[in-house]
Amino acid sequence: MYKKTHWWSVLAVLLVAVIVLAACGGGSGEETTEEGTTEAPPTATTAPAKGEGGGEMAGGEGSYYERALAGEFKGTVVTMTGPFTDEDAVKFNESVREFEDATGIDIQYEGSKEFEATISIRVEAGDAPDIVDFPQPGLLGTFVKQGKVVDVRAFLSEEYLRQQYNQSWLDMATLEGPDGPVMAGVWHRFNAKSLVWYPKDDFEAAGYEIPTTWDELIALSDQIKADGDTPWCIGIESGAATGWPATDWMEDIMLRTTSLENYDKWVRGELPFSSPEVKHAAELMAQIWFTEGYVYGGRAAIATTFFGDAPAPMFEEPPKCWLHRQGNFITSFFPEGVQAGVDYDFFYFPPIDEAYGKPWLVAGDIMAMFNDRPEVRAVMEYFTRGEALKGWLAAGGALSPHKDAQIDWYGDPVERRIAELVQDATAFRFDGSDLMPGEVGAGSFWKAMTDWVSGTVDLDTALAEIDQSWPR
Amino acid sequence: MATQQPVQRKQRRNWRKLWGQFLVEASLFFLVLLWTIPTLGIFISSFRTPWDIQTSGWWTVLPHREWQVVEEFPKPENIDPDGVMEIAGVVGTFEAFRQGIETPDGRRIIWIGNKRLGKIQIQELRWTMRTDFTLDNYRAVLGGKTFELKAPDGSTFTVQGDNLIGAFLNSLTVAVPSTVIPILIAAFAAYGFAWMNFPGRRLLFILVVALLVVPLQIALVPILQDYVKLNLNGTFLAVWLAHTGFGLPLATYLLFNYIRSLPRDILESAFIDGASHFTIFTRLVLPLSVPALASFAIFQFLWVWNDYLVALVFIGAKPDVQVLTMRIAEMVGSRGNDWHLLTAGAFVSMVLPLIVFFSLQRYFVRGLLAGSVKG
Repeated sequence: MYKKTHWWSVLAVLLVAVIVLAACGGGSGEETTEEGTTEAPPTATTAPAKGEGGGEMAGGEGSYYERALAGEFKGTVVTMTGPFTDEDAVKFNESVREFEDATGIDIQYEGSKEFEATISIRVEAGDAPDIVDFPQPGLLGTFVKQGKVVDVRAFLSEEYLRQQYNQSWLDMATLEGPDGPVMAGVWHRFNAKSLVWYPKDDFEAAGYEIPTTWDELIALSDQIKADGDTPWCIGIESGAATGWPATDWMEDIMLRTTSLENYDKWVRGELPFSSPEVKHAAELMAQIWFTEGYVYGGRAAIATTFFGDAPAPMFEEPPKCWLHRQGNFITSFFPEGVQAGVDYDFFYFPPIDEAYGKPWLVAGDIMAMFNDRPEVRAVMEYFTRGEALKGWLAAGGALSPHKDAQIDWYGDPVERRIAELVQDATAFRFDGSDLMPGEVGAGSFWKAMTDWVSGTVDLDTALAEIDQSWPR
Repeated sequence: MATQQPVQRKQRRNWRKLWGQFLVEASLFFLVLLWTIPTLGIFISSFRTPWDIQTSGWWTVLPHREWQVVEEFPKPENIDPDGVMEIAGVVGTFEAFRQGIETPDGRRIIWIGNKRLGKIQIQELRWTMRTDFTLDNYRAVLGGKTFELKAPDGSTFTVQGDNLIGAFLNSLTVAVPSTVIPILIAAFAAYGFAWMNFPGRRLLFILVVALLVVPLQIALVPILQDYVKLNLNGTFLAVWLAHTGFGLPLATYLLFNYIRSLPRDILESAFIDGASHFTIFTRLVLPLSVPALASFAIFQFLWVWNDYLVALVFIGAKPDVQVLTMRIAEMVGSRGNDWHLLTAGAFVSMVLPLIVFFSLQRYFVRGLLAGSVKG
């Protein structure tokens, strides 16, 4: 008996569906397609017509940066995505404000905690922002391989780049593309990791001396232990990324016990984790991490202590631990009110084998370009200049890889000293785990280290596990 | 005798009943306690300073006995920390003093610090509670953090960070339509599946149920591709549609089971009186299904409110459109250095779902039974 009217309901359902579809259709009228933005060749741009200089260097007068300053790209928008959130986002926005005011280009930075997860989805879907800020070149490497990243040498000469950056930085930015090597981006800020922090006032009151060699470091640790305290504070818990501080230790020790060539091979996967060099580094690390009475809370506490909480006992009165190896960003975790140079200070993580000099382990943000438009080129060129970081250096929390950045721009005396030391470095290398393929560098390396530290597996098994996970 | 026995039995039965009731209530109370203790801990932590959270447990705000310093003096000069020492009339080694040596009169002599910088404390056990609470966490969460920055010329200036209000409104803008639209569509669909005969009904219904098991993650990239083509990406409409699509299978299935169980007689008599399907749906079925609609509304609202992934992918993390979950996740800072704000943030974000839950709660229990008993 319902037969007569049942089409009514079908119609009602259809009606709703049509309304919904109409709603999405409404938006589609304005701009039908933006296909191909991710792999846009230099000429096929959707740039606004005004001031379009043909996309090649010869088009306007001077470089894109100069043209931007002349107001040629006024009113354009450059979108960016990256991991800067909260305080970092504020500092970034503050330091690019001057450029925005001068050029009229609006840089819209979209920071997200889950940046690594979403960028792949967005690139895949053709929704890539103009510039993406990668803290891990390993992740960038996958996009370079797919040919989605614009080679910055298309508009910046190598000569100019060499004038702005050390060769090491340029080498680290050169990644393998589908048709040969690509200069995949330009370096923005970086942080130095070969640092050991200590509570300065108490350290001096106790009469300890800053170690300059590995043996002195061990002797100091023994001394502190003999005096009744635990020398080291170490914590590697970091949610899904638990274990990364351990990989930093490994990399720092690798740089000090073997040649740079071996380090590079190791990062590329040509030197296996089970090789004697890597194993030796792990054993040296164990000398500090696993010696009874060396680590606050003991070996068992390392894997469960949040890396940001780890240095806290250093600031109790009197300190409960005295040494903490971590990058310069750890100062943002120090308790409120402690003063650099008074309550805490740092020393260089000492060399182990004199033959390998004083290498530095660094990490940083590389800006890669996904959409090629003149104003994006201008912003990219701006990032190759020290000015892009001037405000941030004054506010603290960043180091500049640019040759034209001045030492007196640094607002924080500790960071100024780090910058000076890095300038004099005999060599520096990027955080290896950030360069390795994601499965290893952000996966098995962290996990195996955590398992080894917590005592679930022995060293050989842990290293073999990492080797097995390397994508071949 | 004959009259006493039933009384006794009755009493015993009463006893047993009381005892049983007591057992049930005691175990319920225990379970509730077990479930609420972590929440209580978070609540208390949200009023504490980061340093306090790091150095002492939240339970220390409750009255407890703790060693407190009565007297403190630097370590005596004339002693050898490597041997056996005598301090304040007590004899022991450095290790023993570091642990603290208790004297018969209830005091404790303890060595604080290492052998070089040590000081001696005489302590007593006293009742105490930590009451130094702060509202700073809530202030930072609700009003936004203030950043004091140094400018290149050496002067300092402050920047006010984003507060939660904008994100709260964004979340509301996302959640309300994302709850209403799927319910509306699903109610129509459920009625159609339950009470209308059309070819392919069974097949279509199986299709809908099958969609229940499809994880939404696999749809993200294709949908985003379409949105980019339609230029819909980054709009609220995009996220409403996404949530509608992801919520529809469950909504349809749930409402179908409920609407199917409505008494046939009512619907039939309505037909005899000449009511159309549309009239029956709006006048009869919808009012009768309020419990099921409300319970699904709670489900969907909570799911959308707590969602992070779908919102992140389809509307992004730009400050003007980002939802509450994103704002709270960002509040901890780039490296998680402001983790102590999470507790306060959690309570702020909990407020609205709690209001929704309590206002619809009386439907909730009824609604959960939706379709579970068929007549």
